[in-house]
Amino acid sequence: MTDSVANTPHRTPFSHSGWQIWPGLLLGLGLVVLVLMGIGSLLATAGNLDFEAVFSSKYLRRVIGFTVWQASLSVVLSLLIAIPVARAMARYQRFPGRRWLLRLMELSLVLPTIVAVSGLIGVYGRQGWFTALLNEGLPGHGWSLYGLNGILLAHVFFNGPLAARIMLQALEAIPAPRMRAASQLGLSGWWLWRAVQWPALKPVLPGLAALVFTLCFTSFAIIMTLGGGPSATTLEVAIYQALRFEFDFSQAALLAIIQLLICGGLWWLVFRQRINTSLMPNRQLGYQAPLFCQVWQPWLEGALLIGFALFLVVPLLAIALRGLPVLLPLSDTPSVYPQLLSATGRSLMIAIPAGVGSVVVALLSLASANRLRGHWQGVLPTLTGYLPLIVPPLVLGTGLFILLRPSLGNSAQGWMLVSLINGLMAVPFVIQVLQGPLSGMDANTLRQADQLGIFGWYRWRWLYWPQLRQPMALALAYGTALSLGDFGVIALFGSPGQPTLPVLLYQQLGSYRVAEAAGTGLWLLLLLITVFTSLSRVSRPAAVTAPASLSQLAPEAGHA
Amino acid sequence: MLEIDRLEFRYPEQTTPWHFHFQVEAGECLAIQGPSGSGKSTLLSLIAGFLQPEAGRVLWQGQPIHKTKPWQRPITSVFQEHNLFEHLDVLTNIGLGIHPGVKLAAADQQRIDSALAKAGLDGFGNRMPGELSGGQRQRVALLRAILRQQPILLLDEPMTGLDMDTRQVLYAMLNDEKARGATLLLVSHDEEDRRTLADRHWNL
Amino acid sequence: MFSRVIPVALAAALPLFASANTLPELNVYTHPSFAAEWGPGPAVKEAFEAQCDCMVNYTVLDSGGDILQRLRLEGSSTPADVVLGLDTATMATARQTGLLAPHGKALEQLALPIEWTDSTFVPYDWGYFAFVYDTEQLPEPPRSLEALINAPDDLKIIIQDPRTSTPGLGLLLWMHSVFGDQAPEQWQKLSNKILATTQSWSDGYFSLFMNGEAPMILSYSTSPAYHMAIDKTDRYQAARFDEGHYLQVEVAAMVKTSDNQALASEFLDFMLTPAFQTHIPLKNVMYPAIDLGDELPNVFDRLIQPASTHYMAPEAVARERKQLVNEWLDALID
Repeated sequence: MTDSVANTPHRTPFSHSGWQIWPGLLLGLGLVVLVLMGIGSLLATAGNLDFEAVFSSKYLRRVIGFTVWQASLSVVLSLLIAIPVARAMARYQRFPGRRWLLRLMELSLVLPTIVAVSGLIGVYGRQGWFTALLNEGLPGHGWSLYGLNGILLAHVFFNGPLAARIMLQALEAIPAPRMRAASQLGLSGWWLWRAVQWPALKPVLPGLAALVFTLCFTSFAIIMTLGGGPSATTLEVAIYQALRFEFDFSQAALLAIIQLLICGGLWWLVFRQRINTSLMPNRQLGYQAPLFCQVWQPWLEGALLIGFALFLVVPLLAIALRGLPVLLPLSDTPSVYPQLLSATGRSLMIAIPAGVGSVVVALLSLASANRLRGHWQGVLPTLTGYLPLIVPPLVLGTGLFILLRPSLGNSAQGWMLVSLINGLMAVPFVIQVLQGPLSGMDANTLRQADQLGIFGWYRWRWLYWPQLRQPMALALAYGTALSLGDFGVIALFGSPGQPTLPVLLYQQLGSYRVAEAAGTGLWLLLLLITVFTSLSRVSRPAAVTAPASLSQLAPEAGHA
Repeated sequence: MLEIDRLEFRYPEQTTPWHFHFQVEAGECLAIQGPSGSGKSTLLSLIAGFLQPEAGRVLWQGQPIHKTKPWQRPITSVFQEHNLFEHLDVLTNIGLGIHPGVKLAAADQQRIDSALAKAGLDGFGNRMPGELSGGQRQRVALLRAILRQQPILLLDEPMTGLDMDTRQVLYAMLNDEKARGATLLLVSHDEEDRRTLADRHWNL
Repeated sequence: MFSRVIPVALAAALPLFASANTLPELNVYTHPSFAAEWGPGPAVKEAFEAQCDCMVNYTVLDSGGDILQRLRLEGSSTPADVVLGLDTATMATARQTGLLAPHGKALEQLALPIEWTDSTFVPYDWGYFAFVYDTEQLPEPPRSLEALINAPDDLKIIIQDPRTSTPGLGLLLWMHSVFGDQAPEQWQKLSNKILATTQSWSDGYFSLFMNGEAPMILSYSTSPAYHMAIDKTDRYQAARFDEGHYLQVEVAAMVKTSDNQALASEFLDFMLTPAFQTHIPLKNVMYPAIDLGDELPNVFDRLIQPASTHYMAPEAVARERKQLVNEWLDALID
């Protein structure tokens, strides 16, 4: 792409290349400054750094070891489950409920931990349905949710669907002629995997594994609730402990740096391999060819998909059953709706701007990273997509607080700030969704656009927007939903008396209002489902509003 | 004889369906013509079984085959690109055409070797598709199609983007197949392709 | 283009940051269970505003630890006038910040199980840590810490982590007060009965205990009062342990740099009047810090009465906590 201003007869809004570079660059720079300030402020208060102390402490060595161990196991298990699920879903493009299963897979990532964990306990706990079935059918089975079992189960519940979703996307991006060749040659089993599926999955696996590893590495509440005690302690717990209870800022900063080094190092490895880290490749809207299969295969894969769907749905049912009595106005207790509705309003006021903000930040960062590819400055906008994942929120929050404190009139009114941080925390996920479609614009199209002088706003409007509508709706759903379920950030900054939904949930929990809390949990779940289904509905009619010339070209490119 | 019998198809957003009806004799090459978007590639996909028609039949030697799966039909397709599996070497790519699990007899090996030699690809067996030029890749794809020994070849822009020398090699390979009794359906924008290969034209 | 957008955005955002009110404002940092709609916070705000001709603003932080953290970060520029929600475990650290002012009050009306002589912190409620049990699952709970420790391993309990939770730390201090140097050994014996060590009291109570995962959870001796008075059920009761129970006192203090010293002091006085304290028993589910007489709800008469009170001075807690936590970790990590 060349700079446009000189050779374009029309002045196009935002066509100067600076518009693509600077906003993303500044955002990345701002984030790095925040992280440095967070860690720096801890260090400044603490005075000295003593790495020696960390490595000589048996306890901390153990914490690091356990953190890495459980995260690695979670990655392996999540991927092992995701691969057959993604293969089966790619094979069967049209089974009843496929769309709902996809929504569910998107949903699991954004479920607030406490709600999901309560659902998992309702199914797999000592009094859970699954355990009851197991007791019936297999007495003396020795199943216990508590310990490593529970941690892994919960991590697979959160990350398996995400992994399967991303792999499915990669499988669906296989060029149609290649799929057709495989179909015609009757490839199946090992050779189908080797010739077609593995090559499609290989580029996304390192990034996917790093993502799941990072999410499990920084997991906190799951590990503490299901992990069962001191032997299951992660770095985040140790950071929390150091920061909140012992006010040992030096230790907190040290542990945060170790976390940054381990997770950052992993991502660095992924990048260094020059592997395509785009987790959501540009999906081809082609008609997939049927694939050869053995007689038993549909049964086996059908059973697998049903099992997987149950794995996702049953805990949600447990949440629903627990919360329903409160939401249905059957009991004589005072209605919970006034509280719920006003909290929902407040939550949406934070979450919708956060979602929009995350999409905007992600687009700006991606544009900047694409423009600066190969330059050292390109690292900065790229970082925006990964730093929020690996920096402990407490550290990020502390940095932000120190940075923004003077400009905040009253912290109680700083909801915009909460919205901003929520948006920032969602950026890594949003970037994963948008990266493929945005970077995947083929060279031919871009060359043509260069020649025709389609730059800046017009390029965005006519080339990117039609392709990005759908991914953007999904990205918006992720951004909004992650913010809707967030408790950490708002708690960090302090909220005024009127709670958002997650804060309401925690207030109810903190005040023995267990039944109401279950109702709030269910309400939150329903709200998240609504966000995902409505946004996927908004985006579905493909290119209806796109101009005629482009919308007619699209199907031709797809299957002609 | 390949008979396309009142075949109908439409994509979801399409109001009026496409109609296809024609026959091709064994040993004949039929060029399908029509402006872009008139359903040429779609027709080939219907014959190959990648898409399901709304109505009509496809018959081969009088037997209906439109209800069978792509791998059960006596058909091999060659597309403009993405014919090869990028992570497998040339030998394996061709071997997969002979047996979907690459279980090859010694005779099969020999056939592949001699075919490679004939196509000017001697010693390329262990190369990856990524190391080949566009023309070499298409030759490999065509070799695989030919060695699969199916009576019907569906060619969807197989020469587009290739230079004249490469085309001449491919023309020769295809004409040999025709002479041996294979039925060819050709979709190509290129007049030279059609003039050299096609016996007859059918307009959409 | 942006030059036109920014002023508009700012204008839209400004009302969020500005306040039109001219009354003096009292900024109180507190935690969720106090400020919640059904907690004592709203009623207290209303009652105090009726007498002070001022506005009370709550800033709700996650926990006592967070209140302290925020205070440290803001230092002398903090807008807080009063911090409410620290406790005996965080008091000493809070005092060390040097940001809190002495209250200068006699505090004669206090009714605590211990003598209160602290010159900075004013108690507003208190309670004992205790194990709450489900009478339907466990009709015969252990009668002492020792009995619990020596119970068969199929008795499962839920505790909280002393590194992240106030009751969790309470149990650690309780065990230490009762068993002294023997505590780590006793922890080892207890460990097979611990089903889960949760991050917070809420996680354990909501996700595990109320789901019936274990019949006993570390909580407060006052917890049953809520279930009896509000849920109208006697199902959940606290087990009275012969060794006595550990005491938690929740406190508030004035901030030294506050512009509203007089108002903050007035609030601390108000805190120890019935107008404030009547909201404590059922809304904060703790004992009031003053004698409420007949106004104490009847269910409080049905709570366990510990034989003795265990209590470590805040300075001692601050000094020994890290050591005790490390001993606990060593005892429980095999």
